[in-house]
Amino acid sequence: MSQNYRTWPILIFLTFMSLILFLLYFYFLLDTVTNQAPGTIWPSEFTLEHWRFLIEPIEGRQSIWRVTLNTIIFASSVTLIVVFLSSTAAYALSRLNFPFRSAFLGGILVLHAFPSVTLLIAIFIILQLFGLYDTLQGVILVITALELPLGIWLMKGFYDTVPWESEMAAMTDGASRFRVWWQIMLPQVRPGLFALGIFAFLSGWGSYLFPLVLAPSADVQVLSVYLSSLIDSLGRTDFSLFKAVGLFYMLPVVIFYLFTQDKLMNVFGGAAKG
Amino acid sequence: MRKLLPYLFLAPALTFVLAFFFIPVILTGVFSFTSMSTATGIFGGRYSISGSSVTQLRDQGFPEDVLVALDSIVYVANDATLPLASEAGASDALVTDIRNTLLDQTFSERRELEDALKQLPNRPRNTRELKAISATFETSIKGRDFATEDALLIGLRDLGLELNPQQEVAIVDVSYTGWRWTLENFRRIFRTPDQLTILINTFFYVFVTLVFFNTGFAIVLAITTFYLPARQAAFFRAIWLLPRITPSVIYVLLWKWLAWDVGFLNSILPSLGIDARNWMLDTPTNAWVFVILINGFIGASMGMIIFTSALRAIPKPMIYASEVDGAKFWQQVRYILLPQLKWPILFITCYQTLSLLTSFEQILLSTDGGPGSTTEVWALQAYHVALQSYSGNLQYGYGAALAMVLVVVGLGLSTLYLRAFNFNQLVQRPKIET
Repeated sequence: MSQNYRTWPILIFLTFMSLILFLLYFYFLLDTVTNQAPGTIWPSEFTLEHWRFLIEPIEGRQSIWRVTLNTIIFASSVTLIVVFLSSTAAYALSRLNFPFRSAFLGGILVLHAFPSVTLLIAIFIILQLFGLYDTLQGVILVITALELPLGIWLMKGFYDTVPWESEMAAMTDGASRFRVWWQIMLPQVRPGLFALGIFAFLSGWGSYLFPLVLAPSADVQVLSVYLSSLIDSLGRTDFSLFKAVGLFYMLPVVIFYLFTQDKLMNVFGGAAKG
Repeated sequence: MRKLLPYLFLAPALTFVLAFFFIPVILTGVFSFTSMSTATGIFGGRYSISGSSVTQLRDQGFPEDVLVALDSIVYVANDATLPLASEAGASDALVTDIRNTLLDQTFSERRELEDALKQLPNRPRNTRELKAISATFETSIKGRDFATEDALLIGLRDLGLELNPQQEVAIVDVSYTGWRWTLENFRRIFRTPDQLTILINTFFYVFVTLVFFNTGFAIVLAITTFYLPARQAAFFRAIWLLPRITPSVIYVLLWKWLAWDVGFLNSILPSLGIDARNWMLDTPTNAWVFVILINGFIGASMGMIIFTSALRAIPKPMIYASEVDGAKFWQQVRYILLPQLKWPILFITCYQTLSLLTSFEQILLSTDGGPGSTTEVWALQAYHVALQSYSGNLQYGYGAALAMVLVVVGLGLSTLYLRAFNFNQLVQRPKIET
């Protein structure tokens, strides 16, 4: 930024503070493809044996592909529903005039700040009452609902930036409000839909606690629950295997992250839950 | 149609929000006043007299003969048992005899019943038949499961007991196995001595993580990267964003790899003469260090992003002017940068207080409250009590009461923030009035 101060002390300081992270993530990648002799820190050989779980299931476990399929169904359903519902609700809140509009907006904002994890116990019991406990549908509905306040708020921000003139012009030409939304507004907030889509997908993909409590059994397990139960229950502690499964699990995150880092920064900055 | 349109657009989203925000909030409150647990079930209960219900009735001063009847096996010929007798081989004539002479008489010994049966005109032809028939009159109410109150009362009547209405109510009450309304959960929160420890743990955890990482280190990151060339700054911000974007299971796994007995620390430290151990769980101090590091590294990134964008909003001329005036590095930070961060810091502090107070995923995955329960915080305790108990009995009611405290705090704080951080600015009125 400013060129008048030396930057190398800052560089050294930041590097030092980031050492643990470098270490954690460097070995995260390294350990998945190498072996080390016990008690040493440098790899002794290259190997692909930690990736065997891709071909044959780990003893007593579901095939990884079945779990991956569950996770894909789970995360994409959440994404589709969240994007659709947010784009309609946010349009109403951004552009339409109706009683209690401001109260609705305030409510959404409160919910956005509200820590939804405190509702876990009640939601668990509700799903049991409706017979949706331990099903993928149940946990999809729940995560969708929890993502909605963020989605609505984010989409409202995008709608707010679209100039009123384009909408007014379309209405003067006789288009209905619904048609205006569908044909004029939606194309203009496409970047928002895209950003929200990625965000919803990643947060579905990464969610752990709700799937753990609401859909724990092997048939409907998602990757996060699968990996954590693997870590907890395997007789031996095989960190290389865990990391390989973890890297496999993290691939979509890495891909999205590499391509959309700036956008994500904005979304996290504007809307993230701590 | 025009009037309806906004609601049509809102309705689907509102349905979800209603189902999974409002109803859970209300139900958390409702459940917190119940004794709901795995033992009681979450649907309505059933009725069953157990040993402990007999003890309770004795304490209430029930007559001894009723207690004995409830507690023991008796023999009764009645509408419930007679069909069983005919199935067991009693002739129609014998059944008629029993109906005429023995109906609703209670025998406490099987021998007495058999003697009575032998007196009947159409008595069983041999001992084997007698045994088979008399066995069918065996009635015991203890341990039997009744779906409804009425079924239980009929069962009691079949036992040949004469009960007055008050006694019936009392028996129904003690034999109910479902959940009941109670204030016990909240009493327990206030009376359990360990609860105070957990409260202190929670404050300690929130305070230290917040001060050192979520705001403290976040400010350091924002200011230091502010002075770095763009590419280096982007690199460090990306590195510090990693803990947030990594799914929590993997992120905590990496820390476990660092700290566990077969982990990284233990492959270098022994050569320095330090014994191998599970660094994450060997002492409470170490456990806390890891809990705070794990959460703090995630938390720092949000503050970093918010503060960075606040710093970017500082007009460049102001910065140049201070340098022309001869400001030292620290002076620039102190008098130009930090004042700009005043509101963002307040915002992050508020926001992160709430999220640290209620989030427990990383603690669950790393120490799980251990060693012992030294790193157990309030939210994690609610989870343990209601959803993951090693004793096998999940106490939904008690857990809901613990969660209710957090829900109330959460609702209060988030409404407060809404008022504090300029809500009205965000709500502009629509310009098309239809």
